Amino acid sequence: MMRGMKMTTENQTFAEKFDLLGCIQCGRCTGGCPVTVRTNLNVRRFVYDAYDEGLLEELARVTDIWDCTACHTCAVRCPKGLKPLEVLIGLRSLVVESGKTQPTVRDALESTFMEGNPWDKPRATRNDWMEGLDVRIAEPDQKVENLFFVCCTIAYDPRVQVTARNMVRLLKKAGVDYAFLGTDETCCGSEIFTLGEDGLFEMLIEDNTELLNEYRADRIVALSPHCFTTFNTHYPDLNKPVIHYTQLLAELLEQGKLVFEKGLHKKIVYHDPCYLGKQSGVFEEPRRVLQAIEGVELVEFNRNRERSLCCEGGGGKMWVESESKIERLAETRIKDAHALGADIVAAACPFCVLTLDDALKAEGFEEEMQVAEIMEILGELEEMQDNSSSAQEVED
Amino acid sequence: MKIFTCIKYVPDTSEAEVKLDSEGTGVDSSRFSFDINDADNYAVEESVLIKEKHDGDVTVVSIGPKNSDVMIRMAMAKGCDRAIRIEDERIAAHDPLMVAKVLAGAIKDQEFDLVFTGCMAEDYGQAATGVALAELLGVSHAAYVKKVEIEDGKVKAHRELEGGLREVVEISLPAVLTIQTGINEPRYAPIRGIRQAQKKELKVMNLDDLGIPEGEVNAEASRIVLEKLYIPVVESKAEIIEGEPEEKAEKLASILVKGGLV
Repeated sequence: MMRGMKMTTENQTFAEKFDLLGCIQCGRCTGGCPVTVRTNLNVRRFVYDAYDEGLLEELARVTDIWDCTACHTCAVRCPKGLKPLEVLIGLRSLVVESGKTQPTVRDALESTFMEGNPWDKPRATRNDWMEGLDVRIAEPDQKVENLFFVCCTIAYDPRVQVTARNMVRLLKKAGVDYAFLGTDETCCGSEIFTLGEDGLFEMLIEDNTELLNEYRADRIVALSPHCFTTFNTHYPDLNKPVIHYTQLLAELLEQGKLVFEKGLHKKIVYHDPCYLGKQSGVFEEPRRVLQAIEGVELVEFNRNRERSLCCEGGGGKMWVESESKIERLAETRIKDAHALGADIVAAACPFCVLTLDDALKAEGFEEEMQVAEIMEILGELEEMQDNSSSAQEVED
Repeated sequence: MKIFTCIKYVPDTSEAEVKLDSEGTGVDSSRFSFDINDADNYAVEESVLIKEKHDGDVTVVSIGPKNSDVMIRMAMAKGCDRAIRIEDERIAAHDPLMVAKVLAGAIKDQEFDLVFTGCMAEDYGQAATGVALAELLGVSHAAYVKKVEIEDGKVKAHRELEGGLREVVEISLPAVLTIQTGINEPRYAPIRGIRQAQKKELKVMNLDDLGIPEGEVNAEASRIVLEKLYIPVVESKAEIIEGEPEEKAEKLASILVKGGLV
């Protein structure tokens, strides 16, 4: 037996925990699984084999279990309402509990435990993205309508920090009552859960619930769909609702508090992030925001909404490289966007932006096309606006 | 097999911007994350691998603040059996000899076969503590060890030398080995394991508990006076060599010769 491996969790057997007997072996999970085009992953097979406790150790050693991106297509399509992907996560847990994880996974988990983020960055620098901006920091005893939860990736990755920076500018312009958390903000655990570190995930849920419940906020606004969905799915004791920022923007547009005075004459295709779309059912708000920009021609991928093709950025895949040399799904997505003649591939998730941007470069489409976070597009509009108004002042 | 593994809690300066403190003799660590010294992490893994293979037990020894308990618990979650943390502000911690004296004070009266340290700490980078510790304990040592084989009361230590060379030395136990990074792949300490490790013994001691006179390990005892730290001025000079490959090679060779580099 692999050292330290446990065949059961708490008082449940593996089969009970994942309701393996509920499976009717219809195979819709594997049929719908997007990564099967480039890997050997057969999730149905794992659900079947995992019923045999004696096989678990062997199954946990199969590298295919690390190919799952936790997109949830299998769960969406399962006629029995099961979550086949969680069987794979359960097998990953056996590996993590034994301590024999890939070094990249180990480092992400240790960093989350020690510094509250999986990117191996100091907690003290979590709010460095705010530099040069006047950002209101939340105080537990001060009432605030919208308490923002930034996300580790947006806070630390220079490519996507623009999401938070532009949000601050937009909130001020729209007169929204908001506050951001201090450096106490800690990883929501989305990727920790999918990497199989149950114990750490439980600790994060406990600590974050205690932290967030202290604030007198009406609601939490998450910038990343991963935090948004994780809070809504795995945090039963949070005392306030959690929305995604695109929902806030759609609300502000409806109330007339957000008006885009300048247009953008571009063809934009919106990529539904799995955690926002198929996992949380937020499909229309991001589209409404983009459509509110004058001149924007919003086009659709053939695979849109529930059928959106995963970018492979979730499921802990930022720390686990697949062995497959076959084209990445993000590259397929970029090619599809190119075929549509899109100028911009818009996404509302940091992982989607990072994976799609890499794919855009790999395909060599940088000159013709751009991958942009929705907040990036709105930020550009604001800049255009600021520039033109100051130019006008000069003319006057 | 009785093993002592010495570990240190150090700032991660790999990507951080390093700033000096107001006195100019220390580094402002307020924006750093702290973790186990990289080479020490490999030493922990090596000691646990040896314990698993040859039986025995591992005691972690560390000089550091209470904050470093988390690092010690992680080592115990990986398989180390108990720990001693020495906390005493009187220790001249910038001097590896003083540090070695304190570590030796914690180990010398106990039975031991092997003492592991990392080959170098990421903070001061002196690579001296382990070697000094061997001298103070009166045992043999091997530094920069990349492979350990234990056979009949002896240890075969594969040392990493310059130029890709390896040296294999056979030394009698007890011995001190300073471990080079890359010797193994350190395991992950799952949180459940860290929680369980709360039950293992972590003894906190000071110089008085160890019976080490202050005057042997404090700033007065140290022969190293840290006068000042400074950040070197960044200078850069680049010359792009143009021309056909032969011309480029000739120009490059002449630059190297003129500069006394070859």
